[in-house]
Amino acid sequence: MPDSATLIHALGFIVVASPTLLTAVLGFSSLMGWKLPEERQARFVYVAVVTGLLAAVAILADMLFVGTRHIPINIGNWVVIPGHYHFAIKIVFDRLSVPLAILSFVLSGTIGAFATRYMHRERGYNRFFMLYAIFMLGMVITSLAGTIETLFTGWELVGLSSALLVAFFQERSAPARNGLWVWTIYRVSDAALLLAAVVMHHLRGEGDFDQLLGGGNWPFEHSAVSSHEALVVGLLLLVAVAGKSALIPFSGWLPRAMEGPTPSSAVFYGSLSVHLGAFLLLRASPLLQNSQLLCGIIIALGLTTAVYAYLAGSVQTDIKSALSFASLSQVGIIVAEVGLGFHYVALFHLLGHACLRTLQFVRVPSLLQDYRSLENAIGERLPPAGTPFKRISANRGREWLFRFALERGYLDSFLKEYIVTPYIKAFRWCDSLERRWTDFLSGEDSRETENVTKPHFGTIEEYS
Amino acid sequence: MQTITSHADASQEHEGQDNQLQHLNEVIEHAAHLLPAQGPITVFIHHNTLHAFEDLPFHDAVKKGAITFGCQPYLTEERYRYELARGRIRFGELQDVLDRDLGSRAGEQLPCFGTRFDLRLAMLQYPLTSGPTSELIWHVAEANALRRIRHDASSATRGRLIAETRRWVMRDLRARTESDAPGAQERRIPASITELLDRFGEATMEIWSDDEWEGFTIQALWRICIEGVRNLPQYTTPPTPLVRHRDLLHEACGVDADEPVNELLIRFCAAFLDQGLSHWQLPRRDEGFYRAFLAIYRHRGMGPDRWLRGLPRELARLDDARVGPLESILESLEILGVPPDEWEKFIATSLLALRGWGGMVRQVETRGDRAVHPIPGGSLVEFLAIRLILDRFSLAHNAREELGYMGPLDAFRKEARKHIKGTWPPSDEQRAYQVFQLAQILGLSPDLLFRLTKPEWATLVEEVESFTGIERRRVFHLAYELRFQTQTLDAIAIHARSNRGRPQSPRFQVVCCLDEREESFRRHLEELAPSVETFGAAGFYSVAMYYRGAADAHYVPLCPIVIQPRHWVTEEVNTDLNKRHQLRQQTRKVLGAASHHFHVGSRTFALGAVLTGFVGVFASVPLVGRILFPKLTAQIRGIFGKMVETPPNTRLHMERGNCEPGPDHQHVGYSVSEMADMGERLLRDIGLINGFARLLILIGHGSNSQNNPHVSAYNCGACGGSAGGPNARAMANVLNDRRVRTKLAERGLIIPETTVIVGGYHNTCDDSVTFSDLDLIPQSHRDEFDDARRLINQTCDRNAHERCRRFMSAPLTLSFADARDHVEERSEDISQTRPELGHATNAITIVGRREWTRNLFLDRRAFLTSYDPTQDDDEQSILTRILGAVFPVCSGINLEYYFSHVDNTGFGAGTKLPHNLASLLGVMDGAASDLRTGLPWQMVEIHEPVRSLFIIETTPKAMQRIIDNNPGIGRICRNGWVLLHTIDPTTHEIQVYSDGDFRPYKPQAGVLPKAASSVDWYRGWRDHLEFAEIEA
Repeated sequence: MPDSATLIHALGFIVVASPTLLTAVLGFSSLMGWKLPEERQARFVYVAVVTGLLAAVAILADMLFVGTRHIPINIGNWVVIPGHYHFAIKIVFDRLSVPLAILSFVLSGTIGAFATRYMHRERGYNRFFMLYAIFMLGMVITSLAGTIETLFTGWELVGLSSALLVAFFQERSAPARNGLWVWTIYRVSDAALLLAAVVMHHLRGEGDFDQLLGGGNWPFEHSAVSSHEALVVGLLLLVAVAGKSALIPFSGWLPRAMEGPTPSSAVFYGSLSVHLGAFLLLRASPLLQNSQLLCGIIIALGLTTAVYAYLAGSVQTDIKSALSFASLSQVGIIVAEVGLGFHYVALFHLLGHACLRTLQFVRVPSLLQDYRSLENAIGERLPPAGTPFKRISANRGREWLFRFALERGYLDSFLKEYIVTPYIKAFRWCDSLERRWTDFLSGEDSRETENVTKPHFGTIEEYS
Repeated sequence: MQTITSHADASQEHEGQDNQLQHLNEVIEHAAHLLPAQGPITVFIHHNTLHAFEDLPFHDAVKKGAITFGCQPYLTEERYRYELARGRIRFGELQDVLDRDLGSRAGEQLPCFGTRFDLRLAMLQYPLTSGPTSELIWHVAEANALRRIRHDASSATRGRLIAETRRWVMRDLRARTESDAPGAQERRIPASITELLDRFGEATMEIWSDDEWEGFTIQALWRICIEGVRNLPQYTTPPTPLVRHRDLLHEACGVDADEPVNELLIRFCAAFLDQGLSHWQLPRRDEGFYRAFLAIYRHRGMGPDRWLRGLPRELARLDDARVGPLESILESLEILGVPPDEWEKFIATSLLALRGWGGMVRQVETRGDRAVHPIPGGSLVEFLAIRLILDRFSLAHNAREELGYMGPLDAFRKEARKHIKGTWPPSDEQRAYQVFQLAQILGLSPDLLFRLTKPEWATLVEEVESFTGIERRRVFHLAYELRFQTQTLDAIAIHARSNRGRPQSPRFQVVCCLDEREESFRRHLEELAPSVETFGAAGFYSVAMYYRGAADAHYVPLCPIVIQPRHWVTEEVNTDLNKRHQLRQQTRKVLGAASHHFHVGSRTFALGAVLTGFVGVFASVPLVGRILFPKLTAQIRGIFGKMVETPPNTRLHMERGNCEPGPDHQHVGYSVSEMADMGERLLRDIGLINGFARLLILIGHGSNSQNNPHVSAYNCGACGGSAGGPNARAMANVLNDRRVRTKLAERGLIIPETTVIVGGYHNTCDDSVTFSDLDLIPQSHRDEFDDARRLINQTCDRNAHERCRRFMSAPLTLSFADARDHVEERSEDISQTRPELGHATNAITIVGRREWTRNLFLDRRAFLTSYDPTQDDDEQSILTRILGAVFPVCSGINLEYYFSHVDNTGFGAGTKLPHNLASLLGVMDGAASDLRTGLPWQMVEIHEPVRSLFIIETTPKAMQRIIDNNPGIGRICRNGWVLLHTIDPTTHEIQVYSDGDFRPYKPQAGVLPKAASSVDWYRGWRDHLEFAEIEA
């Protein structure tokens, strides 16, 4: 009879191992070019989700009955420099991570079941489930991460699979373009997170949350970090959060991400992925509280995003964009709640919002039928919802605001014109400098690739 | 504006401009016909996708459509070759088709390549690679094409080719170098071959390995081909020159100037057309597209987009000077430098750049009655005006960024053309490669080709190049259709011989919609109860009405789109139940309002926070339930739904007093004589004027599925994309009415006292049939009705079973009951993208008596309309009115499926998976795209794109008269949009219509396969099946 601790460790291991195994199986068979039949892939997904979910629920039950509130499981160290530095792979089960892990399994599992029928006979079936597996693995790792490096791993996996799912219909140009846009924003966010990790290592010599955030169980930890340090780490984290959760000024990617198949939009942007930022803030909340300024910035950012999203959402004329802005407006509020220190409220809000939005997203194509049945029930045309800011009577003001909302606050244009374009220009300039320099050094055209001869008569034989 | 010098000049100028504007307006009107004619998605009407080209013969039209819309006219060559390989296209028939297509030109001899027929057949059979030189270089390297003979050349051909080359080299070429034999000088030895010999090592020729000989052969062949095609004139026509600046810019540098324009226009169009999805309506929507845009986008200091710099100033100028949309278009055309003779093409291509949205603007402006929020007329012109203004800005910006072009836009096209490296004329390599490949396939050795003279080369290359890809596909397509045509006509011809006439004293009679989905339903019913008689009629059953159910908010038109109903019918609750009804109505209203608030509220700010925070978690229950247990959830919802649904005892308000028809209570309904007219028309159409059974059941149909914006496309087409249950019910009421029967009897149509008529509704998705007004069935007929109901229920099981064979996710081993369960689950499953397969199997349209198709397994492929030619008058007035509906409806469905299948991306709506409902009018792909018209891939996936075979029971003479007298039908028949046939009412001889003439058809087969029942024939098969006789 194994003792309780061993059991918990085994369960914790299963929670992470089941999506890992799924990713490995699907990935390996894809690499080998084996074509798994649809039913078998669906079977694998089912087994992985159910196993992981049961293990996570068992841990929750154990925590409730036994009363433990914090179960760290060390999987191992990647790099150790004794006394100075260690790079641990560690997962933690506590009041924050377990609900999110369970949520990830429930929503991913439901959407997985949805997708096995929805994606039936689609050419990218295998690719979809491959990315799905990576996504689920990323979600589970992120929610359970006990060190910032582990969290970063999951964060990356989620980002990668999300961007590729946005670009799922790769034969059209819009998904590819928007996928790239999402990916670019995610990279900015990743860079910020990575910097935060570096700063944390610099401060503490390790990335373990329980060290950085001090003793105690979430959310009652007390961080020993000074206010300045908290501000630096916190701001970096906030950039990461803003990218992942589509807060201002990165909000433009969220409606653009609606390019993939409906189930992926549902689970990735409607519910799980977009909440990861808020989750990161929750995880780091003890740190945030050490800096009043930081909290203020978070609240402001959250509320601005919420208002912005509400405004933009109220002029959207397609249901997926409307829902994505609705989603964003709640995420903004959740972020503000974290800033205010209402951790349990934020957590509960997050869970509820994720479930409701997923349901709404998967039922998106039903909108016409829903409207019709609502009209039949009410007995007349649906009443117009009314414009926001009815009191703005001046036409000019109303037009201005409408256009602002319709153009989604020009956020993407700003990023494109004031960040992307100058950035590209700067690097092109560097490139031209480099070329001039190398040409000068070699005394001739230094780039062979630019002088590939045009095919001429007889080239065919040369190449044969 | 310049100062005007004299008054006379001004008025002249004014007049000139007026004429110009009028001409411009006409040009736009003309171009608007090219836009997709699909209306709002809630009323999906199938129609010919290439309706604009219906005046042309089918094959010319698809080619023209392909060029105009940039789409595919036929399936791909690979697909046809695949069909050839698996036997769907028969080789013999391909030869026949080719032979017939070439006529007397088939046997003409070509230099070396045999006859023209041989050459074309080879080009059909073997895929030939072609492309620009750079692509060929890649291909040659990848396929080892200059080292090895094509692998699809037979080994005999390969052996002969090498042997002959060897002989040629050994005897002729070497002889020339070694001895000075007489005659050797006469042969010109190409320098390239001499060089090749040197490279391979001429001295060691005797010990060359087989591989070396093969390499030498193929390279010698290549060099001779290259030399052969050099300096030949061009035989292909150059592509039509591009007129749009954007297209030229795109060709020149690969940048799409439409991209930012479309992005902005889509947003604005969607806001302008929105039918109630967004919370905040577009300000100044009433002032029209153009004015609203000017008003909103003229404000300065907004948005950093560089391409839009200067737009506010331009818009302010237009707005303040009150420049109208047409004048603005004229201005834009001038600025862009488009002369009037190019207007037509330029405007057409500009409109087609965003064809889905443009088409929807057109549809909503012209058919405002089909939209909740109509828009003013002329909106398309305004749409175009804005488009051209934005085009100008985007072009100027991109031309500057990409090409460094700063000059005026009217000179831009000339500039852009300088940067374009066209694909025409084809390079020598490209031309030689075709002949090179064919020579390998046909086994023509280098020396044979070497001996060809230049004129012979010219003939040869012209012949090869004139049989283009499109022409090859056309021939393939004809063969593809021929197989199906032969198969169908044989089956009908053979089966019609065993015509047993109408069943004597039928147990009961059933009338279904002519829909091909009801073919299997009727067949299974007839198999289960051989004494039952069935009929087919257009599913609105001659009742054209605006209908409002007891629980409905609005009237819905239930009739074909071409008819504008003039009567209103409502469903009303029995007076004694009225109280309960009102209570439930109240409850529904409260619940409805609450859920609407929830729906809207969850998307707002504060209320959203409360809702998602507090009740959000509970959403996981319906989420998990509906996805994992769709049927159970549906049952639970059904139980709750029962509490608020209308009481089962309702009546149709059918009869109107002495007043004009109208939507208000006292004006609802028909007069008795109008009812008699409708009843007479239906019965005479289907030829049921005698031999009435004691029970006549009329069944309308519709489809119920979840999460499906295209649901209307699955419903009854004859009921305008709605469910046709009320029509069947209304007609049953009419025919049961004693006064109607008296009136009908006066007109010689006697319905016996003992005949009772019942209306029903067939849900083609979950295969259930429900009946209405059951309490009106007299006691005397109860048992018979129960019996009929039991049989129909069994029929549903079997029908579901037959449908399940086409669902890849339904196992082939299902029992009848399992199959019924399966389709029920499908209809309730929100993750199901194929709740049913719609009209995917349609391919045949039969108009005639059921006797000669009864017990023929038609595989759900035939629209079956009942028509009895023996009861028609000499003018065929009944047939004419039937065909007036059957032709547009059935050919419309068939052609929409055809085009959506052959080019699902271009003509169809693509895959359903990323669809996103926009403005409550249509679907876009993903976040923002053009509106996707046509049918999604999931609907057309299993469709075989063939033109519908019309088989009409009448004489060729009568049919010819109908063709001559009805322009609509004539156009469709003469231009070959359907394949028309007649079957003689007495001899059952089939005549094929082609080139304006009927010719008798000679059956190819002697017997049809037989099966004991439909199940025995289809069990275990997924694919389309051959036709068989069911021995009942």
